[in-house]
Amino acid sequence: MSNLPIQFEIHPSSGVPIFRQIMDQVRAQVASGRLKPGDLVPSVRQMAVDLQVNMMTVSKAYSRLEAEGLLERDRGTGMRVRGQVEHLGSVTNRQAELRDLVDHVATRGLQLGLTDEQIISVVKTVLKERRS
Amino acid sequence: MNELMIEASGLSRRFGTTDVLTSVDLAIPRGTVVGLLGTNGCGKSTLIKCLLGLLRVSGGTARMFDEDPWDLSGAAKARLGYVPQDVKLYPWMTVTQVISYTAAFYPTWDFALTEHLVQQWDLPRDRRAGPLSPGQIQKLGLILALGHRPELLILDEPVASLDPVARREFLKSLLEVTQDEKHTVLFSTHITSDLERVASHVAILKQGKVELFEDLDTVKDRIKRLRISAIEPLPRSFAVEGALRTEIEGRVALVAATNVSEQMVSDLRARWQAEVTVEDLNLEEIFLELHR
Repeated sequence: MSNLPIQFEIHPSSGVPIFRQIMDQVRAQVASGRLKPGDLVPSVRQMAVDLQVNMMTVSKAYSRLEAEGLLERDRGTGMRVRGQVEHLGSVTNRQAELRDLVDHVATRGLQLGLTDEQIISVVKTVLKERRS
Repeated sequence: MNELMIEASGLSRRFGTTDVLTSVDLAIPRGTVVGLLGTNGCGKSTLIKCLLGLLRVSGGTARMFDEDPWDLSGAAKARLGYVPQDVKLYPWMTVTQVISYTAAFYPTWDFALTEHLVQQWDLPRDRRAGPLSPGQIQKLGLILALGHRPELLILDEPVASLDPVARREFLKSLLEVTQDEKHTVLFSTHITSDLERVASHVAILKQGKVELFEDLDTVKDRIKRLRISAIEPLPRSFAVEGALRTEIEGRVALVAATNVSEQMVSDLRARWQAEVTVEDLNLEEIFLELHR
Protein backbone atom coordinates (compact mmCIF):
# COMPACT_ATOMS: atom_id res chain seq x y z
CA MET A 1 0.00 0.00 0.00
CA SER A 2 1.41 3.34 -0.99
CA ASN A 3 0.77 6.38 1.12
CA LEU A 4 -0.35 9.58 -0.58
CA PRO A 5 1.27 13.00 -0.23
CA ILE A 6 -2.20 14.42 0.26
CA GLN A 7 -2.02 13.13 3.84
CA PHE A 8 0.81 15.53 4.56
CA GLU A 9 0.17 19.09 5.53
CA ILE A 10 3.09 21.43 5.00
CA HIS A 11 3.32 25.04 6.12
CA PRO A 12 6.25 26.58 4.29
CA SER A 13 5.91 29.84 6.20
CA SER A 14 6.21 28.18 9.57
CA GLY A 15 9.39 28.69 11.56
CA VAL A 16 9.88 24.93 11.53
CA PRO A 17 11.96 23.88 8.51
CA ILE A 18 9.89 21.98 5.95
CA PHE A 19 12.03 18.85 6.22
CA ARG A 20 11.31 18.70 9.97
CA GLN A 21 7.59 19.08 9.32
CA ILE A 22 7.75 16.09 6.96
CA MET A 23 9.77 14.08 9.48
CA ASP A 24 7.31 14.85 12.29
CA GLN A 25 4.35 13.84 10.17
CA VAL A 26 5.90 10.56 9.05
CA ARG A 27 6.70 9.79 12.70
CA ALA A 28 3.17 10.70 13.76
CA GLN A 29 1.63 8.51 11.06
CA VAL A 30 3.79 5.59 12.11
CA ALA A 31 2.95 6.16 15.78
CA SER A 32 -0.78 6.30 15.07
CA GLY A 33 -0.58 3.16 12.95
CA ARG A 34 -1.74 4.90 9.80
CA LEU A 35 1.59 3.90 8.28
CA LYS A 36 2.38 0.26 9.03
CA PRO A 37 5.68 -1.61 8.86
CA GLY A 38 6.37 -2.40 5.22
CA ASP A 39 4.28 0.49 3.86
CA LEU A 40 5.85 2.63 1.16
CA VAL A 41 6.05 6.36 1.76
CA PRO A 42 5.41 8.59 -1.30
CA SER A 43 8.37 8.96 -3.64
CA VAL A 44 10.56 12.02 -3.22
CA ARG A 45 9.49 13.38 -6.57
CA GLN A 46 5.79 12.79 -5.96
CA MET A 47 5.98 14.51 -2.57
CA ALA A 48 7.93 17.45 -3.96
CA VAL A 49 5.56 18.05 -6.85
CA ASP A 50 2.35 17.56 -4.86
CA LEU A 51 3.41 19.59 -1.84
CA GLN A 52 5.14 22.09 -4.13
CA VAL A 53 8.39 22.05 -2.26
CA ASN A 54 11.99 21.56 -3.24
CA MET A 55 12.93 17.92 -3.91
CA MET A 56 16.07 18.20 -1.80
CA THR A 57 13.90 19.09 1.18
CA VAL A 58 11.94 15.86 0.90
CA SER A 59 15.00 13.74 0.36
CA LYS A 60 16.67 15.35 3.36
CA ALA A 61 13.68 14.38 5.53
CA TYR A 62 13.72 10.79 4.25
CA SER A 63 17.48 10.39 4.68
CA ARG A 64 17.26 11.54 8.27
CA LEU A 65 14.38 9.17 8.99
CA GLU A 66 16.45 6.42 7.40
CA ALA A 67 19.39 7.32 9.63
CA GLU A 68 17.04 7.21 12.64
CA GLY A 69 15.97 3.75 11.55
CA LEU A 70 12.31 4.58 10.97
CA LEU A 71 12.47 4.13 7.21
CA GLU A 72 14.53 1.80 5.06
CA ARG A 73 15.49 2.10 1.43
CA ASP A 74 14.01 -0.66 -0.68
CA ARG A 75 16.07 -0.74 -3.84
CA GLY A 76 13.93 -0.09 -6.88
CA THR A 77 10.70 0.64 -5.05
CA GLY A 78 11.43 3.48 -2.66
CA MET A 79 11.36 4.04 1.07
CA ARG A 80 9.46 1.71 3.40
CA VAL A 81 8.54 1.88 7.06
CA ARG A 82 10.79 -0.48 8.99
CA GLY A 83 9.54 -3.48 10.90
CA GLN A 84 10.86 -3.19 14.43
CA VAL A 85 10.36 -0.52 17.02
CA GLU A 86 14.12 -0.24 17.44
CA HIS A 87 13.83 3.11 15.65
CA LEU A 88 13.03 4.60 19.01
CA GLY A 89 16.71 4.29 19.88
CA SER A 90 18.31 3.22 23.13
CA VAL A 91 16.87 4.14 26.51
CA THR A 92 19.70 6.67 26.93
CA ASN A 93 18.77 8.33 23.63
CA ARG A 94 15.12 8.48 24.50
CA GLN A 95 15.91 9.93 27.93
CA ALA A 96 18.11 12.53 26.28
CA GLU A 97 15.17 13.53 24.12
CA LEU A 98 13.05 14.08 27.22
CA ARG A 99 15.71 16.04 29.10
CA ASP A 100 14.94 19.42 27.64
CA LEU A 101 11.29 19.25 28.65
CA VAL A 102 12.17 18.10 32.13
CA ASP A 103 14.65 20.96 32.42
CA HIS A 104 11.73 23.27 31.87
CA VAL A 105 9.64 21.52 34.52
CA ALA A 106 12.50 21.67 37.02
CA THR A 107 13.00 25.41 36.54
CA ARG A 108 9.34 26.21 36.96
CA GLY A 109 9.06 23.89 39.94
CA LEU A 110 11.98 25.58 41.69
CA GLN A 111 10.55 29.02 40.88
CA LEU A 112 7.35 27.93 42.59
CA GLY A 113 9.41 27.02 45.64
CA LEU A 114 8.70 23.27 45.49
CA THR A 115 11.14 20.68 46.82
CA ASP A 116 12.65 17.95 44.63
CA GLU A 117 10.30 15.36 46.16
CA GLN A 118 7.26 17.57 45.58
CA ILE A 119 8.19 18.04 41.90
CA ILE A 120 8.76 14.31 41.39
CA SER A 121 5.45 13.55 43.07
CA VAL A 122 3.64 15.77 40.53
CA VAL A 123 5.31 13.85 37.68
CA LYS A 124 4.28 10.55 39.27
CA THR A 125 0.67 11.71 39.65
CA VAL A 126 0.52 12.74 35.97
CA LEU A 127 1.93 9.37 34.92
CA LYS A 128 -0.59 7.52 37.11
CA GLU A 129 -3.49 9.46 35.58
CA ARG A 130 -2.16 8.68 32.10
CA ARG A 131 -1.99 4.95 32.78
CA SER A 132 -5.45 4.61 34.28
CA MET B 1 28.15 19.31 -5.94
CA ASN B 2 30.90 21.71 -4.97
CA GLU B 3 31.42 23.04 -8.46
CA LEU B 4 30.67 26.76 -8.31
CA MET B 5 28.28 28.18 -10.87
CA ILE B 6 28.55 31.76 -9.65
CA GLU B 7 31.20 33.42 -7.57
CA ALA B 8 31.47 37.02 -6.43
CA SER B 9 34.18 38.37 -4.23
CA GLY B 10 34.36 41.90 -2.91
CA LEU B 11 32.05 42.87 -5.75
CA SER B 12 31.07 46.53 -5.75
CA ARG B 13 29.04 48.73 -8.05
CA ARG B 14 28.65 52.47 -7.92
CA PHE B 15 26.21 54.66 -9.84
CA GLY B 16 27.63 58.19 -9.88
CA THR B 17 28.28 58.89 -6.22
CA THR B 18 25.89 56.23 -4.91
CA ASP B 19 27.38 52.95 -3.74
CA VAL B 20 24.71 50.34 -4.41
CA LEU B 21 26.86 47.29 -3.81
CA THR B 22 29.80 47.78 -1.48
CA SER B 23 31.35 44.34 -1.09
CA VAL B 24 29.39 41.29 -2.15
CA ASP B 25 30.78 37.82 -1.47
CA LEU B 26 28.74 34.95 -2.79
CA ALA B 27 29.55 31.43 -3.99
CA ILE B 28 26.71 29.41 -5.48
CA PRO B 29 27.34 25.68 -5.95
CA ARG B 30 25.68 23.54 -8.60
CA GLY B 31 22.30 22.05 -7.73
CA THR B 32 21.11 24.78 -5.37
CA VAL B 33 17.98 26.88 -5.70
CA VAL B 34 18.94 30.24 -4.24
CA GLY B 35 16.44 32.91 -3.27
CA LEU B 36 17.99 36.39 -3.24
CA LEU B 37 16.10 38.46 -0.71
CA GLY B 38 16.33 42.16 0.02
CA THR B 39 14.31 45.33 0.54
CA ASN B 40 13.24 47.45 -2.40
CA GLY B 41 16.16 49.22 -3.99
CA CYS B 42 18.81 47.30 -2.06
CA GLY B 43 20.56 46.27 -5.27
CA LYS B 44 19.18 42.81 -6.12
CA SER B 45 18.81 43.59 -9.82
CA THR B 46 22.15 45.39 -9.89
CA LEU B 47 23.84 42.33 -8.42
CA ILE B 48 22.15 40.02 -10.92
CA LYS B 49 23.18 42.27 -13.79
CA CYS B 50 26.78 42.38 -12.57
CA LEU B 51 26.82 38.58 -12.33
CA LEU B 52 25.42 38.31 -15.86
CA GLY B 53 27.81 40.83 -17.33
CA LEU B 54 25.01 43.25 -18.20
CA LEU B 55 26.65 45.79 -15.91
CA ARG B 56 30.34 46.27 -15.33
CA VAL B 57 31.52 45.87 -11.73
CA SER B 58 33.15 48.93 -10.13
CA GLY B 59 35.42 46.75 -7.99
CA GLY B 60 36.05 43.18 -6.91
CA THR B 61 35.31 40.21 -9.13
CA ALA B 62 32.38 38.29 -10.53
CA ARG B 63 32.69 34.85 -12.08
CA MET B 64 30.14 32.73 -13.89
CA PHE B 65 31.07 29.18 -14.95
CA ASP B 66 34.54 30.33 -13.93
CA GLU B 67 34.59 32.97 -16.66
CA ASP B 68 34.47 36.75 -16.52
CA PRO B 69 30.79 37.61 -17.10
CA TRP B 70 31.75 40.80 -18.94
CA ASP B 71 33.42 38.65 -21.58
CA LEU B 72 31.34 35.48 -21.46
CA SER B 73 32.05 32.87 -24.13
CA GLY B 74 29.32 31.58 -26.41
CA ALA B 75 29.63 28.17 -24.79
CA ALA B 76 28.94 29.70 -21.38
CA LYS B 77 25.96 31.68 -22.69
CA ALA B 78 24.49 28.45 -24.02
CA ARG B 79 24.47 27.09 -20.46
CA LEU B 80 22.68 30.13 -19.08
CA GLY B 81 19.02 31.16 -19.02
CA TYR B 82 17.87 34.59 -17.81
CA VAL B 83 14.45 36.11 -17.29
CA PRO B 84 14.66 39.85 -16.59
CA GLN B 85 12.26 41.70 -14.32
CA ASP B 86 10.49 43.17 -17.35
CA VAL B 87 10.36 40.63 -20.13
CA LYS B 88 10.69 42.50 -23.42
CA LEU B 89 9.19 40.78 -26.43
CA TYR B 90 8.52 41.84 -29.98
CA PRO B 91 4.85 42.74 -29.62
CA TRP B 92 3.96 42.05 -33.24
CA MET B 93 5.16 38.44 -33.17
CA THR B 94 2.87 35.59 -32.18
CA VAL B 95 3.81 33.28 -29.32
CA THR B 96 4.98 30.63 -31.82
CA GLN B 97 7.01 33.19 -33.77
CA VAL B 98 8.73 34.57 -30.67
CA ILE B 99 9.78 31.04 -29.76
CA SER B 100 11.15 30.18 -33.22
CA TYR B 101 12.90 33.55 -33.40
CA THR B 102 14.67 32.95 -30.08
CA ALA B 103 15.40 29.30 -30.97
CA ALA B 104 17.32 30.45 -34.04
CA PHE B 105 20.01 31.93 -31.78
CA TYR B 106 20.82 28.57 -30.21
CA PRO B 107 22.51 25.61 -31.86
CA THR B 108 20.45 23.24 -29.75
CA TRP B 109 16.84 24.03 -28.94
CA ASP B 110 14.39 21.63 -27.36
CA PHE B 111 11.20 22.31 -29.34
CA ALA B 112 9.49 19.35 -27.67
CA LEU B 113 10.05 21.00 -24.27
CA THR B 114 8.89 24.46 -25.31
CA GLU B 115 5.84 22.95 -27.05
CA HIS B 116 5.02 20.99 -23.90
CA LEU B 117 5.32 24.09 -21.71
CA VAL B 118 3.19 26.22 -24.04
CA GLN B 119 0.49 23.59 -23.80
CA GLN B 120 0.84 23.06 -20.06
CA TRP B 121 0.73 26.78 -19.31
CA ASP B 122 -2.09 27.31 -21.72
CA LEU B 123 -0.44 30.05 -23.77
CA PRO B 124 -2.31 31.10 -26.93
CA ARG B 125 0.06 30.04 -29.74
CA ASP B 126 -1.32 32.30 -32.47
CA ARG B 127 -1.96 35.37 -30.34
CA ARG B 128 0.47 38.26 -30.68
CA ALA B 129 2.81 38.82 -27.74
CA GLY B 130 1.82 42.50 -27.35
CA PRO B 131 -1.55 42.11 -25.65
CA LEU B 132 -0.63 39.12 -23.43
CA SER B 133 -1.25 39.52 -19.70
CA PRO B 134 1.75 40.09 -17.38
CA GLY B 135 1.43 36.50 -16.16
CA GLN B 136 1.47 35.11 -19.67
CA ILE B 137 4.44 37.26 -20.64
CA GLN B 138 6.30 36.09 -17.54
CA LYS B 139 5.61 32.47 -18.47
CA LEU B 140 6.65 33.03 -22.08
CA GLY B 141 9.84 34.66 -20.79
CA LEU B 142 10.57 31.54 -18.75
CA ILE B 143 9.88 29.27 -21.74
CA LEU B 144 12.33 31.32 -23.82
CA ALA B 145 14.92 31.01 -21.06
CA LEU B 146 14.43 27.25 -20.75
CA GLY B 147 14.30 26.24 -24.43
CA HIS B 148 18.01 25.58 -24.76
CA ARG B 149 17.99 23.59 -21.50
CA PRO B 150 20.34 25.84 -19.52
CA GLU B 151 22.09 24.50 -16.44
CA LEU B 152 21.87 27.85 -14.69
CA LEU B 153 18.65 29.82 -14.56
CA ILE B 154 18.58 33.39 -13.29
CA LEU B 155 15.23 35.04 -12.61
CA ASP B 156 14.85 38.65 -11.53
CA GLU B 157 11.61 39.05 -9.53
CA PRO B 158 9.89 36.32 -11.54
CA VAL B 159 6.57 36.53 -9.74
CA ALA B 160 6.32 40.20 -8.80
CA SER B 161 3.61 40.98 -11.34
CA LEU B 162 1.56 37.82 -10.80
CA ASP B 163 -1.57 37.27 -8.72
CA PRO B 164 -1.42 34.55 -6.01
CA VAL B 165 -2.98 31.88 -8.24
CA ALA B 166 -0.65 32.59 -11.14
CA ARG B 167 2.28 32.83 -8.71
CA ARG B 168 1.68 29.38 -7.31
CA GLU B 169 1.21 27.92 -10.77
CA PHE B 170 4.40 29.53 -11.96
CA LEU B 171 6.39 28.26 -8.99
CA LYS B 172 4.99 24.78 -9.41
CA SER B 173 6.07 24.74 -13.05
CA LEU B 174 9.46 26.11 -12.14
CA LEU B 175 9.90 23.31 -9.60
CA GLU B 176 8.87 20.68 -12.12
CA VAL B 177 11.27 21.90 -14.76
CA THR B 178 14.27 22.45 -12.53
CA GLN B 179 13.87 19.56 -10.10
CA ASP B 180 17.16 17.73 -10.29
CA GLU B 181 20.68 18.05 -9.05
CA LYS B 182 22.04 19.41 -12.33
CA HIS B 183 20.02 22.60 -12.37
CA THR B 184 20.97 25.69 -10.44
CA VAL B 185 18.52 28.54 -9.98
CA LEU B 186 19.07 32.05 -8.65
CA PHE B 187 15.95 34.14 -8.23
CA SER B 188 15.41 37.48 -6.57
CA THR B 189 12.24 38.28 -4.68
CA HIS B 190 10.86 40.18 -1.76
CA ILE B 191 8.08 37.65 -1.19
CA THR B 192 9.46 35.41 1.53
CA SER B 193 6.70 32.78 1.37
CA ASP B 194 7.55 31.89 -2.23
CA LEU B 195 11.17 31.58 -1.36
CA GLU B 196 10.42 29.29 1.59
CA ARG B 197 8.63 26.86 -0.66
CA VAL B 198 11.09 26.46 -3.49
CA ALA B 199 14.51 27.59 -2.33
CA SER B 200 17.19 25.37 -0.87
CA HIS B 201 19.31 28.39 0.08
CA VAL B 202 18.65 31.98 0.97
CA ALA B 203 20.91 34.97 0.35
CA ILE B 204 20.00 38.20 2.11
CA LEU B 205 21.32 41.39 0.58
CA LYS B 206 21.61 44.31 2.98
CA GLN B 207 23.49 47.58 2.76
CA GLY B 208 25.42 46.54 -0.31
CA LYS B 209 26.59 43.22 1.10
CA VAL B 210 25.37 39.66 1.34
CA GLU B 211 24.53 39.62 5.03
CA LEU B 212 23.66 35.94 5.10
CA PHE B 213 23.97 33.07 2.63
CA GLU B 214 23.00 29.68 3.92
CA ASP B 215 20.90 26.58 3.63
CA LEU B 216 17.34 27.69 4.42
CA ASP B 217 16.75 24.87 6.91
CA THR B 218 19.91 25.74 8.80
CA VAL B 219 18.83 29.38 8.97
CA LYS B 220 15.49 28.39 10.50
CA ASP B 221 17.17 25.96 12.87
CA ARG B 222 19.65 28.45 14.28
CA ILE B 223 17.91 31.86 14.29
CA LYS B 224 15.30 31.88 17.06
CA ARG B 225 13.54 34.24 19.41
CA LEU B 226 13.89 33.59 23.13
CA ARG B 227 11.40 34.66 25.74
CA ILE B 228 13.19 34.71 29.03
CA SER B 229 11.40 35.07 32.32
CA ALA B 230 13.81 35.12 35.24
CA ILE B 231 13.15 34.82 38.93
CA GLU B 232 14.68 38.24 39.63
CA PRO B 233 14.97 41.45 37.55
CA LEU B 234 17.54 41.11 34.82
CA PRO B 235 20.52 43.51 34.91
CA ARG B 236 21.01 46.09 32.15
CA SER B 237 24.10 44.17 31.15
CA PHE B 238 22.08 41.06 30.36
CA ALA B 239 23.27 39.80 27.01
CA VAL B 240 22.92 36.69 24.92
CA GLU B 241 25.63 35.62 22.49
CA GLY B 242 24.83 36.41 18.87
CA ALA B 243 21.85 38.61 19.75
CA LEU B 244 20.31 40.59 16.92
CA ARG B 245 17.99 42.40 19.27
CA THR B 246 17.52 42.42 23.04
CA GLU B 247 14.60 43.95 24.90
CA ILE B 248 14.66 43.87 28.67
CA GLU B 249 11.76 44.76 30.94
CA GLY B 250 12.23 43.86 34.56
CA ARG B 251 12.34 40.08 34.90
CA VAL B 252 11.45 39.49 31.28
CA ALA B 253 13.61 39.67 28.19
CA LEU B 254 12.94 39.13 24.52
CA VAL B 255 15.99 38.22 22.48
CA ALA B 256 16.42 37.30 18.83
CA ALA B 257 19.68 35.44 18.45
CA THR B 258 21.58 33.91 15.57
CA ASN B 259 23.03 30.73 17.07
CA VAL B 260 20.51 29.28 19.44
CA SER B 261 21.36 25.80 20.70
CA GLU B 262 19.93 23.53 23.37
CA GLN B 263 23.10 24.09 25.37
CA MET B 264 22.59 27.85 25.24
CA VAL B 265 19.01 27.53 26.42
CA SER B 266 19.84 25.29 29.36
CA ASP B 267 22.71 27.58 30.34
CA LEU B 268 20.30 30.52 30.38
CA ARG B 269 17.81 28.56 32.46
CA ALA B 270 20.44 27.58 34.99
CA ARG B 271 22.24 30.92 35.18
CA TRP B 272 19.20 33.18 35.60
CA GLN B 273 16.80 30.67 37.20
CA ALA B 274 14.65 31.52 34.23
CA GLU B 275 11.91 30.03 32.21
CA VAL B 276 12.99 30.16 28.60
CA THR B 277 10.74 29.55 25.64
CA VAL B 278 12.20 29.21 22.19
CA GLU B 279 10.11 30.57 19.34
CA ASP B 280 10.61 29.36 15.80
CA LEU B 281 10.82 32.18 13.29
CA ASN B 282 9.72 32.02 9.71
CA LEU B 283 11.75 33.67 7.00
CA GLU B 284 9.74 36.89 7.06
CA GLU B 285 10.33 37.26 10.79
CA ILE B 286 14.03 36.44 10.39
CA PHE B 287 14.26 39.01 7.62
CA LEU B 288 12.62 41.62 9.83
CA GLU B 289 14.88 40.80 12.80
CA LEU B 290 17.89 41.28 10.53
CA HIS B 291 16.60 44.70 9.48
CA ARG B 292 15.83 46.17 12.89
